[in-house]
Amino acid sequence: MSERLKIALTKGRLQDKSLELFEEMGLDCSPVRSPGRRLIHPLPGYPLDVVLAKAPDVITYVEHGVCDLGVVGKDTILEKGGAFYEVLDLGFGRCRFALAVPRGSDFYGTYKTRRLASKYPEVTRAFFEKKGMDVDIVKIEGSVELAPILGLSDGIVDIVETGATLRENGLEPIEDVARVSARLIVNTASMKLHKGQILDFIGRCQQALDGRN
Amino acid sequence: MDIHITTPEGTRDRLFAECLERRQVQEALVALFRRRGYSQVITPEVEFYDLFVQSGNPMPQEAMLKIIDRSGKIMVMRPDSTAPIARVAATKLKGLALPQRLYYDQTVFRSGSAHNGGSSEIAQCGVELMGASGRKADVEMVALAVDALRACGVSGFHIEVGHVDFFRTLAGRLDLPAEEIERMRTLIEGKNYAALNDMLAPHRSDPACAALARLPYLFGGAQVLEEARALAGDCDSLDYLAQLWTELEQAGYGGFVRFDLGLVHQIDYYTGVVFRGYIQGAGRPVLSGGRYDKLVEKFGRRAEATGFAVDVDAVGSCLQVECPRLELVIHYGQGMLARALEVLDAQAPGTCELSPCRTLNSTMNLAREKGAPRVLVLEKSGERWLEV
Repeated sequence: MSERLKIALTKGRLQDKSLELFEEMGLDCSPVRSPGRRLIHPLPGYPLDVVLAKAPDVITYVEHGVCDLGVVGKDTILEKGGAFYEVLDLGFGRCRFALAVPRGSDFYGTYKTRRLASKYPEVTRAFFEKKGMDVDIVKIEGSVELAPILGLSDGIVDIVETGATLRENGLEPIEDVARVSARLIVNTASMKLHKGQILDFIGRCQQALDGRN
Repeated sequence: MDIHITTPEGTRDRLFAECLERRQVQEALVALFRRRGYSQVITPEVEFYDLFVQSGNPMPQEAMLKIIDRSGKIMVMRPDSTAPIARVAATKLKGLALPQRLYYDQTVFRSGSAHNGGSSEIAQCGVELMGASGRKADVEMVALAVDALRACGVSGFHIEVGHVDFFRTLAGRLDLPAEEIERMRTLIEGKNYAALNDMLAPHRSDPACAALARLPYLFGGAQVLEEARALAGDCDSLDYLAQLWTELEQAGYGGFVRFDLGLVHQIDYYTGVVFRGYIQGAGRPVLSGGRYDKLVEKFGRRAEATGFAVDVDAVGSCLQVECPRLELVIHYGQGMLARALEVLDAQAPGTCELSPCRTLNSTMNLAREKGAPRVLVLEKSGERWLEV
């Protein structure tokens, strides 16, 4: 009766960390580790197929129900939103969302409208809306640190991992916007239609995570 | 120069099979609703924005498509049919005895986010039972929801039932400010197990806590009601759902009904039993409804009410509908129109058409181009079949 479920993993670092976790859960991830030309990777011995996707696409696939589960960063969830169940904080991929400004500048000490550059315009908008501040937001696709250096913006809202890139470019984080880590998400209809299987998977994840602490 | 204009974002041209799917679902639902004593109402496609805002519609304002009329008033393309029907029930139908059973078969308009693949025009068929409170009305409604999906001819579906008071009761047992309760509600709605646990950690000693932390898991068969009772103790809403279940099961609906006590969406709008329908293969709920006892009285007549809407195209896309293929082209001569129409009307719809061509040669070419295997020639001298 157990049907195969599909899980979408965010390519890159989260993918590696997800596979490590799955292996701790006793799943055989060899097909994903040596992918060849296939795009869908069935895991042997467990009814789960893995697909790899860019972070926003993971949400799209899960929301539309073409994948039942997904692993994606909280940053993407905050930016893109969507209707799905966010069931577990997987604990890895931890970093913080921060407001960073040129070192020594007084970001809040003016009545002038501040301009922010970010890859995450929605997160930025929500953050300043809560403060009741009007800000101009410029969406940047690549290295956001460049914007204040070139004089395009007064600050940036971005993911900070070590802070080294910021330091090297004369920026400093002055405020946390949100804590970010990888999340396990589930399509709302799949949760209802495959309850046993999905709760089994979530339970195994939880167990492996508990084992780490 | 050719005019080159596409359809606006969120709208689309629906062709052939998509129309058949929609029609098939609409016909099945309308026939069922009529059989169960519901009468149709059609409300305007454009209504005043205030109708939806003042009646407490939970829809965010950016989801409504707005128009400004000549006098400067803001109007919206109907984002929902329930508020307009409540308006009708409380005003134009004021003199009629309650309960009133009303159904609608009309499009609602919601501006979704760009490039999400969703449509802004959503064909809905739904019912409202106005002026009936209590268990019998709720049982009737859930049974009708099951029958609605069954009538559409889909397999692998179920209706999931919850009760907004279960969450309200549990949350009320914790001493928390309203905004914290709202945050907890969103975590439960999103089945955000981890964050909910963190949030409840300081209240660990409270007995209500165990049930709330478990709430996102309390979905599935009728056994979740027992599980909930073990966690939450005595609770009117659980008793109510248990009675509902007994009646539905006795009536043979047990196989189609499940429960989700974590159904806590739009909690300010709904006042009792809420439910959703899921079909294997559809990524989101295809049917949604519940009890809303406070809406109609906002328009001036007290009437407890319940109802649901079916997303027609979402159900349609789960059906295997095939377009009929053209099997026959009729070539008819002078004075043979009546006979040609007689033959045409006797064929299955979509499998036969008349040739507008003057010569048989052109008709044969036409049939070849359209892939019809046979041509029927009708002339005064007689009838003959030709293979293409």
